[in-house]
Amino acid sequence: MLEVKNLCKHYGGIRAVDGATFTVDKGSITALIGPNGAGKTTAFNCISRTVAPTSGEVWLDGQRIDHLRPHKVTAKGLSRTFQISRNLSDMTVIENVIVQSRVDGIAGLFKPAMSREEKDKAMSILDFLGITRIAYEDGNNLSYGQKKLMDLAALLMSDPKIILLDEPAGGVNPSLLEEIISHIQALNARGLTVLIVEHNMDLIMRLSHRVVVMAQGRVICDGTPDVVRKDPQVLDAYLGGVLEQEAA
Amino acid sequence: MAVTLDQSSASAVVEARRAHNEKLARKADQTRATWFPLAVMAILIALPLLQFTGNYNYLLHMVLFTASHVAMASGWNILGGFAGYISLGHSVFFAIGGYFSGMILARYGISTIVTAPLAGLLAAVVGYLIGMVTLKVRGPSFIISSIALLMIARILFDNWELIGGANGVTLPVNDLPVQWAKIPYYYAMLAIAAFTVWASYKIKHSKFGLGLRAISKDEIKAESAGIDTRFYKVMAFALSAFFVGMAGAVWGEYLTYLRPNIFLVILVSANLVLMSILGGKGTVAGPVIGAILIVALNELFVATMGASEINILGTGMVMAAGLMFFPLGLVGTLARKGKLPRVLNWD
Ligand SMILES: Nc1ncnc2c1ncn2[C@@H]1O[C@H](COP(=O)(O)OP(=O)(O)O)[C@@H](O)[C@H]1O
Ligand SMILES: [Mg+2]
Repeated sequence: MLEVKNLCKHYGGIRAVDGATFTVDKGSITALIGPNGAGKTTAFNCISRTVAPTSGEVWLDGQRIDHLRPHKVTAKGLSRTFQISRNLSDMTVIENVIVQSRVDGIAGLFKPAMSREEKDKAMSILDFLGITRIAYEDGNNLSYGQKKLMDLAALLMSDPKIILLDEPAGGVNPSLLEEIISHIQALNARGLTVLIVEHNMDLIMRLSHRVVVMAQGRVICDGTPDVVRKDPQVLDAYLGGVLEQEAA
Repeated sequence: MAVTLDQSSASAVVEARRAHNEKLARKADQTRATWFPLAVMAILIALPLLQFTGNYNYLLHMVLFTASHVAMASGWNILGGFAGYISLGHSVFFAIGGYFSGMILARYGISTIVTAPLAGLLAAVVGYLIGMVTLKVRGPSFIISSIALLMIARILFDNWELIGGANGVTLPVNDLPVQWAKIPYYYAMLAIAAFTVWASYKIKHSKFGLGLRAISKDEIKAESAGIDTRFYKVMAFALSAFFVGMAGAVWGEYLTYLRPNIFLVILVSANLVLMSILGGKGTVAGPVIGAILIVALNELFVATMGASEINILGTGMVMAAGLMFFPLGLVGTLARKGKLPRVLNWD
């Protein structure tokens, strides 16, 4: 469904992403893992076109999308969250969510900001995530975890085919972590494809069908969680450290 | 196939929430006092009747002058307030409107009141084209680009002989008796101001307005949310120029002359910025309140201190003090604190 071919993003001399190639299968939950600074966020930025890749190709459902502008990528059905939640301040949760719904043409621009249908849709998404009670709360007043859930809600408003989640459970408490895992599984069960960056290995091993491991801008390993877990290169570059930490 | 959440099975919780939200929305509608600006309009429409009883030209002039600034500040606010792109170059659109309609008046004798929408359109087209270039940068860089625009336009107008160069052109004066000479411009400017405020309200409550708000908060997020940020911004620039251009058209004929050092000075732009910020940028009522306050203050200081530099200092001090207590502008700050008087709640 999503194919990333030879993706490169260089910042001056820094090769944040350096020839990464991987695919995400339709209907799968694929994890993108790797040590800090491996280039995961940068890869997300290039795929969603938040930044322009230096070179390489990104294909979505057989269409090349790496030359599109970000809003077009979203319109094609690929939506992403940001590692550091970028909520729109001074806007309510429901506005934060509805701002992500599709607008049709120039005539659509001058329709009411939030139609009844959109409000209903937003409310049912918020209900699914269990946060209807904060719908009219100012986005500024949310807890860290609520912001993560709001990000997820906004994502769903654009009717995506594939979602890219950048550390959706980074820094949240264990009970919310469980909640987020079950939301992702539920969405996946309804056919949504997921590409997820996460540091929590427990979450990754439970959730993902496939794991892509990045280090220093490259993909060093790619396979099922069990295969990746035992790969010597991965152990060396990344998991070694994590597993040792967990053992300690 | 996109994944949609089944809406028919929306739970009882959602139903209850919806009812609650509708109650909230109704309450917000009730506290909104749209009757107030309409009532003020009605009074202003009737105001010229005073001319039957005496000479109220000064009063009419003040209302007209204020209305022109209400229109321009509200127009400026579409780009500066809603989208968050502060322009100090909007005098250019004021000049484009003034000169376009003024030159047609000078050549063909067609009143600027008739051609004002066309003048607005021309300003919008120019705004659109300029926006395509300058809106690529934001923050201080954008402000500087807008000042550069003003300087370039000034050089151009100062040296363009066809439109009178630095000396400008004198426009024909209408042949109405003094008592009634201001009335056509009075109503035209009032109509332009009302139209601008109405449009500003419509924009704020549209998808377009929501998108502009998102752009002003976080452009990268807005883009990734699916908003065509480049198009939204350029459209905001064009619309904003449109209203300023219309006001400029009528102002030129009212003044009876066009001159670069009247139209193309940074003070005109700066005033729009100050009005919007003092009243509350990004709100509908803010620029209106700001325009009224600043025009009134200026008048007060000119009356008490004379038309020297001191009156500018006075306005500046009030401005500074105002923003210390109302950092989001009067309307913005009061609304945030839940203390906005109902008559000012038209947003
Ligand atoms: N805008 C930028 N300018 C310069 N270097 C950057 C920029 N963004 C990321 N990098 C660098 O690229 C590398 C990869 O970063 P990132 O993609 O955030 O890693 P990850 O998300 O895997 O932790 C890091 O070394 C980082 O410092
Ligand atoms: Mg990262």
